[in-house]
Amino acid sequence: MVRQKSRYLLCELNVSDRSRLLLLDDRAVREAVRATVARIHGDYGAALCSLRFSVKYLNAHTGIVFLRCPKNCYRLIWSALPFITSVENQGQKVPCFLNCLHVGGTIRTCQKFLIRYNTQQLHRMLPQCKSEEEKLQVRKAILNCSLIKRNEGGFEDEAESGEDDEE
Amino acid sequence: MSAAKHKMREKKMRNQPVSVQYSSSSQGAASSPQNGGDTPVPGGGAAAARQRNPLCQGGWVRGHHKDGGGYSKEMPKYITGIAFARARAAEVSAMLKAVNKTTGSCHVFGALPKHMRRRAMSHNTKRLPCRLRDVANRMREKSLKAGQKKKKEQAKNKSRKARRRHGNLLLEFNRRQRKNMWLETHIWHAKRFHMLKKWGYCLGDRPTYKCYRPCYRAMSSHCLLQDLSYYCCIELQGEEDKLLASLSQLTSKDAGSTFAAALSLSGRRQGSAVVYRAGQYPSQPLGPVTFLWRPRTPGSAHRQLWIWAHPTLKQDLLPELQSVCQCCEAVIPPVAPVITPAGFVAPTPEPELNPEKTPEAKQTPGTKRKRSCKDAVGPPAKKIVGDGTRSPTTPVTWKSSSTGIVINDLTLEIVRYRLIGPQSHSVLTETLEAATDCHAISKSQPSSLWWPEHCKDESKMALHRQQADVFHTLKGIYSTGEVLSGTVLGLTVDDPRLTLPKTKGKAMPSVKQAQEVDEEKRRELMLQGVPEHCCQSFLWDQSVRDNVTHNKISEQELNRMKSEVLVPGSRLSPTPLQGRVPLLLVHQPGKQVGQEMSSWGAGWDLLLPKGWGMAFWVPLVYRGVRTGGLKMSLKHSQNKGAPHFPHDYPDCPAGVRFQEEQEAELLEKFKRRPPAKRTNYIKHGCLAPFRCPWQQLAEEWELIMRAQGEERKGQSQTQTTTETNTLTAEEVTSCHHVTITPQSTFTVLRNRKSLRLLSGWCRPTSSKGQRSCRGGAVPPLDCSSMTSLLLAHVNSLVWVRLSLLSKGKPELHALVCVPTPEDLKLQHKEPGYSGPQEPLLRDHFKSRIKRRKKVSKEAAKSSSSSEKPVGKATELSSASNTIPTSSPIVIPSLAQSCDPISFASSTPPSQTSTLSITPAKDPKSSSSSSDLIFGLWPDPLPSVISHCSRVTLGWVTQGDFSLSAGCGEALGFVSLTGLLNTLLNQPAEQRGLVLLRNPTSLQYRFAKINIEV
Repeated sequence: MVRQKSRYLLCELNVSDRSRLLLLDDRAVREAVRATVARIHGDYGAALCSLRFSVKYLNAHTGIVFLRCPKNCYRLIWSALPFITSVENQGQKVPCFLNCLHVGGTIRTCQKFLIRYNTQQLHRMLPQCKSEEEKLQVRKAILNCSLIKRNEGGFEDEAESGEDDEE
Repeated sequence: MSAAKHKMREKKMRNQPVSVQYSSSSQGAASSPQNGGDTPVPGGGAAAARQRNPLCQGGWVRGHHKDGGGYSKEMPKYITGIAFARARAAEVSAMLKAVNKTTGSCHVFGALPKHMRRRAMSHNTKRLPCRLRDVANRMREKSLKAGQKKKKEQAKNKSRKARRRHGNLLLEFNRRQRKNMWLETHIWHAKRFHMLKKWGYCLGDRPTYKCYRPCYRAMSSHCLLQDLSYYCCIELQGEEDKLLASLSQLTSKDAGSTFAAALSLSGRRQGSAVVYRAGQYPSQPLGPVTFLWRPRTPGSAHRQLWIWAHPTLKQDLLPELQSVCQCCEAVIPPVAPVITPAGFVAPTPEPELNPEKTPEAKQTPGTKRKRSCKDAVGPPAKKIVGDGTRSPTTPVTWKSSSTGIVINDLTLEIVRYRLIGPQSHSVLTETLEAATDCHAISKSQPSSLWWPEHCKDESKMALHRQQADVFHTLKGIYSTGEVLSGTVLGLTVDDPRLTLPKTKGKAMPSVKQAQEVDEEKRRELMLQGVPEHCCQSFLWDQSVRDNVTHNKISEQELNRMKSEVLVPGSRLSPTPLQGRVPLLLVHQPGKQVGQEMSSWGAGWDLLLPKGWGMAFWVPLVYRGVRTGGLKMSLKHSQNKGAPHFPHDYPDCPAGVRFQEEQEAELLEKFKRRPPAKRTNYIKHGCLAPFRCPWQQLAEEWELIMRAQGEERKGQSQTQTTTETNTLTAEEVTSCHHVTITPQSTFTVLRNRKSLRLLSGWCRPTSSKGQRSCRGGAVPPLDCSSMTSLLLAHVNSLVWVRLSLLSKGKPELHALVCVPTPEDLKLQHKEPGYSGPQEPLLRDHFKSRIKRRKKVSKEAAKSSSSSEKPVGKATELSSASNTIPTSSPIVIPSLAQSCDPISFASSTPPSQTSTLSITPAKDPKSSSSSSDLIFGLWPDPLPSVISHCSRVTLGWVTQGDFSLSAGCGEALGFVSLTGLLNTLLNQPAEQRGLVLLRNPTSLQYRFAKINIEV
């Protein structure tokens, strides 16, 4: 048995209007990526990438996408990502661009990175809060994820320590 | 994806985050109007969704939701920072869960990195790191529970060591004997034999090692040992004339010796007889028994008689004996267990049983309790010797007030070993030693043992010396067969364990010892037998038997005493006083009938008091004897040419039961094969391969004879039977009805005179003057003598021995058939002629079975009822097609008169048609209702005698290649009528020739009939 190695791209969908983010779904993202790869790299690239390409995860609220592709051709996709300007779903065009945050060998590393990234984002958000209520909510959110983390058995030490610093 | 696979995948992906998005389908349906219309939601979409939908964990919706319409309506226009933060937090927690919890694999060690996983972790949780251990234990328990499904929920609550402890082991053994009793040698046998549960006992069938031929060789040249303790002994006590008067109702002089035979009455010989129901001779036989009278004690008419019977016979015999002797008062043995053995009166047969039962009953499983018990009462569980399964209150003694006869059931009270073979006497003389006298000191003081008491009595000692002398003379004879058959010798011997040789050897007669023996004495023993007073033994005494059984030194004690001997391995010098055992030696006759191999298989029976079984068994085995089981005793009687009970007694109730059991067993075995691999017995023309319809056979032959008789009357011609050719269907049917009504039962011919007559007739007349020397005794075979014999024995079967002329091995239930004249001719002309062949018959039931499978039941019923006569007709036509081709040749060639076979070959079609059409209505209904078994005839059989191309005379009950005769030999029964008819019509020089055909073969083989008296 030989493992077929893949690369996982952790991307962030950035849209101007955040509410339109909720329109997206994995099929739309997949189609957009595939079309772009075909446009940039031609039939060769499209064929290579279509082999085991899939959208593993999509969060419509945060715009986080996990893309999987074969290890040998992840660069083709990676290089094609900046050329995506819009994602079309159900006849509606959502103008957006994809920002690749992380490239990992397993989905696990991507998840780990995402945890770190998200907590970092939340921490950054906290000082910029405008109202007291907002501040409270964000703090609660931070606490929420850290508490769960503690229950789960203490995995991310640095996140926890960072959080403690914040508190 | 299959359900299981789906489940597995679900389990695996349980912890993985699922994409969070609004379902595309709902979007497609509802989003377009929603997008157009403005429905701003103040609180933010995710928060609103969470509040509304408690199902979603972590603040956001997972996966595609069917009721996604709810979101699409409130698709938010903008989101606030709070919602953003909340969504992030939810995502983080989901990711955390995914990262921390490993992939859904059910093994705990999936959580470990690969390089730390070990194979042994799966069953030894201690190899896992501490933090995973309890989870792993839980998982393991769960999987064990699921896998086993409570197969072994009741584990043995005791450890093996506790179970193997002696007392507990005995308790367990006693428990296991409740249904089927064990003989004393059971454990020895169980280690070496295939055991069978038969007749309420566990008996060894055959050894696990290959020893068929060695056992035969042992029987014919050395010695074969068998444990026959399962034979039941019934003791009768009373005055001689009264005993004889009541017992005479059971036997008849015509069928051999009776209980009153002079030699056996004196006690010098063992007798044998066939027992009938009281006054019913010649019908309703019960079975064969052997019996032994105790020699007369001077000055008393009180006699003691032991009747030895097979266990299956006992249940019929015992009530019969009770009714004959009018012994209906059961003497219930005293139940009170508190009384010590000393308190018991002599006639109770098993006084030691009660005290040993009580501590056992008190026994509780708790070990502590047991230990205290041990201290108080002694050993907790005592091995049950003898018939321990019988409850102590079951009566074993019956008394008669009118005649004074007492019947005692001595089942398992006496151990009986049988030694077969010409050297069995040397085995006995080497194993046993006449008891030594005891010292003067022990003589002077009173003892509880029986031997010192006996030593005080000079007359008893003189008798003992005489018996020892006779036993010593036994060394001088050359073969066991030389001794007069049935000789009885009483003896008292030392414990044979004392003289146990260190290594197993083979007991051979030594020339030196033979020369030592006085020639005069030897001759006297051979010609006169044992003098009457020497046949006396203390084994007959209940009290002595019990004394000996109780005071047996245990093996352990004996070994301890042996180890204390000064010179290791030497004999224990003052023989322990307990080691004197009274016993009886009974000679068993060998082959008594026939000319060749006379006295083959003679031997000695050793009767011992119970409890001493193993003490004698092992020393006997150490003398190089072979041991045999039930199978060997069957072969022994087969080679000896003696009927074996219950196989060869189909008219006795035990024989009938045995046949039913055998049929069920064989049928079960047959049904276990797949139908395509079964023998098609219909095609082989074998009507009943698993049983023998004796009754039908006898009746059908009677029927034919009667038809012949009518013909004869009409034509007033004596010899010829050709007229039966013209037998019309009406006559046969009318006769059939006549014979059915009386419901007579068949009997086996046991009349000595008639058998002797038949035996003379069976021999070919012109063979080397054998006939001439005996010729005077046997009247020539003709019609008048035949009819007189037939009139005397209606519906009779004759037990015959068949030896094959050429090759072939007869098997169980092989057919005995009448050869046609042309078969005989061919046999006469060509010496190498092996025999005719049966044409393959058609199985018209096969199509019916097939059709039954196809068509529904209703249709099948109607079609079979219409089809049946057609099938019959086709079969009959095929049969009649084959036969007429032969019969026209037969009839002209033999020209006139005596052609009985042509009647047989040509009448069957007409007869079968008539016979089968009359009962045709029943089989249709019954066969369609009962299940048809492929390859077997459905139940109401057609005419059995004329089913094949050769007329059936009878069947074989035992058949094998006989190592003693060097050819195939079979024992079976033939119809007396058929046999006489056949003999009468055979040419004188080929008289007694029949054909044998195995049920699985089409080949007939020639065989010779021997009837030996």
